[in-house]
Amino acid sequence: MAQKTDDSNRNLVVKLYRWLVDGLERTVYIGVQYTFPKRFVSPLGYLGVLTGIVFLVLGITGGLLMIYYQPTLTGCGSLTCAFSSVQKINDVVPYGWLLRNIHYTASNAMVLLAILHMYYQYFSGRFKIKNEVLWVTGIILGIITGVEAYTGYDLIFNQRAGLAIEIGSGLTNAPPVIGGPLRLATFGAGFTDFVLRLYSAHVFILPMVMLILVFIHFPRYMVFDIPVVSTVVGAIFIIAAFFPVPVSTQYDPTVGALTIPEWYLTGLYALLRTEFDKFVMGGLMPGLLFLMALVIPFVDTSKKLNWKDRPFFTALGITSIAQILITTAWGFYINPDASLPTLDRLLVPPDLYFGSMIGVTVLSFVLTYAFLRYLKAKERVRKAVAPTAPLLTRKWVYFLFVLLILAQVAFNGLAAAAGAAADAAKVAQTNPLPFDSLTLFDVGAVLVTFGVLIHLYRYSQNLPF
Amino acid sequence: MVEEAKEKTSTESNTSSEEKKVAHPITQVQVTQQKPQVSAAVPPRAVVSPAPRPTPTVAAPATRPPPPQMVGRRNFVKALVTIAAVLSIVPFVPWGSFLSSSVGNAGSYKRQKVVIDAKSVYGAAAGQVVNVNDLNTFPPDSHWVITYPSSGDATLDAQNPDTFVKYELIRLPAGALGGDTKNASAFVAFSKVCVHLWCSPNYNPDPAHQQYECPCHGSIYEVPEGLAKYGPAAQQDAPTNAIPMLTLTADPNGDLNVEIPLWDVEHNGVLGYGRDYLSYRNYIKPAALGGS
Repeated sequence: MAQKTDDSNRNLVVKLYRWLVDGLERTVYIGVQYTFPKRFVSPLGYLGVLTGIVFLVLGITGGLLMIYYQPTLTGCGSLTCAFSSVQKINDVVPYGWLLRNIHYTASNAMVLLAILHMYYQYFSGRFKIKNEVLWVTGIILGIITGVEAYTGYDLIFNQRAGLAIEIGSGLTNAPPVIGGPLRLATFGAGFTDFVLRLYSAHVFILPMVMLILVFIHFPRYMVFDIPVVSTVVGAIFIIAAFFPVPVSTQYDPTVGALTIPEWYLTGLYALLRTEFDKFVMGGLMPGLLFLMALVIPFVDTSKKLNWKDRPFFTALGITSIAQILITTAWGFYINPDASLPTLDRLLVPPDLYFGSMIGVTVLSFVLTYAFLRYLKAKERVRKAVAPTAPLLTRKWVYFLFVLLILAQVAFNGLAAAAGAAADAAKVAQTNPLPFDSLTLFDVGAVLVTFGVLIHLYRYSQNLPF
Repeated sequence: MVEEAKEKTSTESNTSSEEKKVAHPITQVQVTQQKPQVSAAVPPRAVVSPAPRPTPTVAAPATRPPPPQMVGRRNFVKALVTIAAVLSIVPFVPWGSFLSSSVGNAGSYKRQKVVIDAKSVYGAAAGQVVNVNDLNTFPPDSHWVITYPSSGDATLDAQNPDTFVKYELIRLPAGALGGDTKNASAFVAFSKVCVHLWCSPNYNPDPAHQQYECPCHGSIYEVPEGLAKYGPAAQQDAPTNAIPMLTLTADPNGDLNVEIPLWDVEHNGVLGYGRDYLSYRNYIKPAALGGS
């Protein structure tokens, strides 16, 4: 204890932390350089880390949801266990509603962050030159993320899951020769098999594959920015509080229902609804997109990184964004004329759809080239940015510190009160939804406040004495 | 020569963590955490041998030494940050009730008629709604297994092997315990989960016994309050020495009901854990339960 070290003036927590960090020398983490930015840096550069953090949130909430979820159909009375156990998590179990909604919103956030991460890496040219392995594993991770999300929302066995079941079975049946066995291998022989297989895929097989790929995908440098991480997680909580996802009604195969899948799958839904061959539209077309994404680093081999210097590939990226957006938008389209037969209402008119795809390709290329030419013409010598005076003085920083902590205390109090009220409502079997929402909002607000506070702390450290 | 140069760089990289700039695409980022680095510059033996690594020569931030009042201010700010960190973890503490929820895999708890599990050994009582006035089907000093919460189907319930939804319904012996009175007080419903090691006790109607006995380790609970008086369960501290039980009431027509339980030690108890039998005594008295 009395041993004099350089750490002697540090407290126990810091010592423990240093000891742990030193211990990492013998682990795989030695290869990774974490940085804790001392100034705000754009999160665009570390969207991948944020995706990973959200994956962690999904792992924690998912692991908790597994405790009450029952991946079976029979034995729970008139409803399937799969559906009624989700209902129970949502309506009865304390904090179950919160965990389920965080899990749902975080899954959307992860898909979104992964897409943004990919496009940032693409346009900034970071995927090039020795980063090919990172890029390729990233694309595979992205595809698995989509599959993971798909298997997740099937588990509820509600109407929306029903649509996914129908599409999934259709797609796995569609490939020539291997169609039948493929469907049997992935989904099994019936709904009981289906739920159990998707469950095992969702909670174990796919996350394990993702973890292994993530170890390959880890770059040498990683940014861990507490303010942004805390704010992103808090924002997920707040969005979940404002846009709760209903459990809906149980999937009934005897009743056709017009539902629309999650936004990241509406594109696939639109392709299928052009009513050409299922395998071509649902298998080969998305496959083509993924294939193009996989081979990009081996095609775009120039030494130029900046998107302005790579007009063709910038235009190609813009085209892919435009095509994905249009296809996704078509996925939400259902002919409003209720007098038509269901199949006609669901039809995405192929002439219109493919017309818009070709149009948008031409438009993207023309506009990108025109814009880049315009940029080149306007290129001027950059003005040196004059150093600006600090926005806040120390006094103000301290004042804001106290204010933010008071806000945290207030949100804490509200969260505790709302949580207790939700518990009471669940016992009394009255509607706990407003209290659950309020609890989730408050906890999210606590995290966002913490993020802002840590950023302010960082800011104050850079202020002159 | 090359070796020397490499050695030099590797020593430099260990001198001060705060000063070190990272060669990173994101500029203006400083490392605040010193990481042991593997590079070609470090000779392999440095990793294998127990020789101490060069320790950082500069411990404090390598800026000019701060004036004393700044140290105070810095500590103040650090204290505030610590408080904020604690405040950001605290709201998650109540989330533990997600794990400790007794709702579990059971159904939702409702007021429910008492129905005997449909087992052939129960004869005429099997699958029947218990009526306190029916002394023939439900005679004093008898016992049956009931399921709470019930699936609504006594045959399905009888097949459910989960003892955590099973209760021993006992019509008390006639006489001092009042088993022949025609109201809910003639009945008790004990959990089938012993608070000792979760075996499943049974009521022994033998006049010499008339108590709730566990076959595994010999814990014996007295009737009607369910307090362990012999065996290992009796040696456990209160409240883990009394068997959880359901609160029973009777309809005007005599049908027996289970009231919605309060799963804590003060009331109906915690299954597989225990119950404060004195608190329960006070709990069942108020007329809030609709009398009986």
